[in-house]
Amino acid sequence: MKRLTISPPLAAVLLAIVLFLLSGFLPNGFGGNLDVATAQAINIVRLSVFLGIIAAGQTLVIISGGEGIDLSTGAVVTLTAILTYTIVNGRNEQVLPALLAVLVVGGLIGLVNGAGIAFLAISPLVMTLGMAGVVSGLILVITHGNVSGAVAPIMTQLIARPVLLGIPGAILIWAVFAALMWLLLERTAFGRRLFAIGANRTTARLSGINVTGMVIATYALSGMLAGLGGFLVVGNTGVVHIRIGDPFLFPSIAAVAVGGTLLTGGKGSYFGTMAGALVLTLITSLLTTMQMQESVRRMVLGATLLTMIAIYGRQRGFRQ
Amino acid sequence: MPPLLAVRNVAKRYGAVQALIDASLEVDAGETLALIGANGSGKSTLSKVINGVVAPERGQLLLGGRSVHFDSPHAAKDAGISTVFQELSLVPQMTVAENIWLTREPLRRSGMIDRRTERRRTEDLLSLFAGTLRADLTPDTPVAALLPDERQIVEILKAISVNPRLLILDEATASLDSRQVQRLFELIGQWKAQGTAIIFISHRMAEIEQIADRYSVLRNGQTVGAGSMKEATANDLVTLMAPETAGGAVERRRLSSDILATRRIVLQIDDLRTSVLRGVSMQVREGELLGIGGLKGQGQRDLLLAIFGGTPWSGRITLDGKPVHFTHPRQAMNHGVALVPGDRAGEGLLSIRSILENLLVPSWRNYGFPLQMQRARRDASAIAARLDLKMAGLDAPVSSLSGGNAQKVVIGKWLLRNPRILLLDDPTKGVDIATKAEFYRLLTRLCEEGTTVILYSSDDEELIGLSDRVIVMHDGRISSELAGASLTTANLVAASLGVASGDAP
Repeated sequence: MKRLTISPPLAAVLLAIVLFLLSGFLPNGFGGNLDVATAQAINIVRLSVFLGIIAAGQTLVIISGGEGIDLSTGAVVTLTAILTYTIVNGRNEQVLPALLAVLVVGGLIGLVNGAGIAFLAISPLVMTLGMAGVVSGLILVITHGNVSGAVAPIMTQLIARPVLLGIPGAILIWAVFAALMWLLLERTAFGRRLFAIGANRTTARLSGINVTGMVIATYALSGMLAGLGGFLVVGNTGVVHIRIGDPFLFPSIAAVAVGGTLLTGGKGSYFGTMAGALVLTLITSLLTTMQMQESVRRMVLGATLLTMIAIYGRQRGFRQ
Repeated sequence: MPPLLAVRNVAKRYGAVQALIDASLEVDAGETLALIGANGSGKSTLSKVINGVVAPERGQLLLGGRSVHFDSPHAAKDAGISTVFQELSLVPQMTVAENIWLTREPLRRSGMIDRRTERRRTEDLLSLFAGTLRADLTPDTPVAALLPDERQIVEILKAISVNPRLLILDEATASLDSRQVQRLFELIGQWKAQGTAIIFISHRMAEIEQIADRYSVLRNGQTVGAGSMKEATANDLVTLMAPETAGGAVERRRLSSDILATRRIVLQIDDLRTSVLRGVSMQVREGELLGIGGLKGQGQRDLLLAIFGGTPWSGRITLDGKPVHFTHPRQAMNHGVALVPGDRAGEGLLSIRSILENLLVPSWRNYGFPLQMQRARRDASAIAARLDLKMAGLDAPVSSLSGGNAQKVVIGKWLLRNPRILLLDDPTKGVDIATKAEFYRLLTRLCEEGTTVILYSSDDEELIGLSDRVIVMHDGRISSELAGASLTTANLVAASLGVASGDAP
């Protein structure tokens, strides 16, 4: 008998759809109203974009293996959100320089992470946790706790408002971004080598792959993507505070795991992470709609993560 | 009276490899039996059968005349069989005393570990080797701080601390210096006098002659001879160990030295040194198949790794007349050098990835941006067909393949790049006979096409059958070179053991 197997990204997407349909039966759900349902669906996807993009860097780092994880993501998002806010300061012509600046700053922080991990053999957990502390401290020193600035009108227009056929700009940005991530992972030598170093670094090295260079590049890229995330987050909210990135850290790792990427590296996809981001965002907003407390939301999110990972683990176990 | 231990007609198969076919031995209380044989003859497997690590498929173990079955090393230990392992079994983070008494800690009445007794007993044990150890080596020294020889001694003390009836020493002298070996031999004498039986496994003929009372010789998994050491010479033993030149599976016409001399020198190595190698010089010519022989772990792996840029080295390597100094395998790869490493799963494969990706790992750069996946797939299919890879499909995980087919993938990823120099580290280890024969044909064809092959093999027959020339390594150096008429199995075994090759029949 052929056993039914379902790929983790597909499982996560199905879970998201089922949850969404069920949410229609809630007291203040969409019921049978298709227009309301569509609007709600679009809103959920729009909200998932920011977690989805911030978790992209996390995906790369986790695929790269070697106990890879980036705990500086939250702090980098905060720093780059503040940078965007102050550089732009309400002027449209400053948007591109600000974007460039956050990519460079995020990339540099990631570069230091990668260098510490590759050259000093510091474990990724410790290195990026330390970096998170350094960046958070830096934010306090520079801002003294209050930030002045403003986002530009064009940012709000492109990120938070509908741009095409009632679809918000953020979703369009995510679609393009997803295509680029797929291209990077599946259709470049870098992507194939990333999976190789995640699967077995000794084999990768003895197959001519510059593992050190790959590790540094991956963490740098993760920093850059967190920078992009910070830029988009502030563009969406329009305001900034000095903990704005923190709530994204745990979900960015959870989204990767729920999306079926092996936490030990070497296997995974960005589509999985996207589905994971959808599931997590959906659950959070459902629980919020149901007026659940923060504590309950956390418990449900944690339990979801454990359940999904346990299911994937069993699937793999059976196959071997 | 029955012997202390009798092993009768034991057989054991690992997957496709028949490690033991028909092995027997007997050892009496108060006697030292040397268990000898060439690489891969089944010595380690037989010792693992005796100490319960491996369960035999056929055959019998008789302890004091009574049939026994050990289903774990623990059961064997309870029966009084203790082993000094070749792969060290100590916990680096724990102290010498903690390691020796691990799971057998002396307890106080309260159930707490009696550290004082543990330390005193450890001191008693360490005093056995007094004078050959560092003075500051105490029971409280962590094992991580010990040198290899000291670890080996702790390993020996741990084995003897249970007062065994039978002590198995598997290559226990390999990392000891001569004073320590002599002390060990004195102790063996004492233990024998107390009635302990000893099985001594070593590759060093001089030690065997000094310490053993009787010998038992294994060849290709079969016991081919046994007797008293008094009535045997080193050459008798070597003759027993050397397999008959069946040569059936391996057929390659050797290039004569005259023909070879006309070929271009592709690779020249002068005074190559690494942490293991102590000055290796050699040259290899175009289309030559150079064999590397010798006992395991004499620097063969390091030699291949150094050529491939996989380990730091000093000295001079000249490739096609130009000096090169590869510090990363990528550079070697771009100069047409390829390495099939010795640890297939750990160094050769990406186990969780597909066959397709394993074949293409070194070559992605050649497929542009975005990667031309159809062309990549075509190339991989072509290689798979050429190697007659038995697989469900290119997208199947490489972990679904048998040992021989998995090794084909490792070789295939390099063939895709048409290497000029192919380095192989024991490539047929754990590979079934049919696939071995395919490898031999493949290597023969590659050499005919002008590829230079350097092959280390633990299978002497394979080396003899395939190589134009064999260099034998011992302790990080080349100890002898065999070619032409002197390239015989007997000479190779003798050279590996350090017996002068001229004396061998």
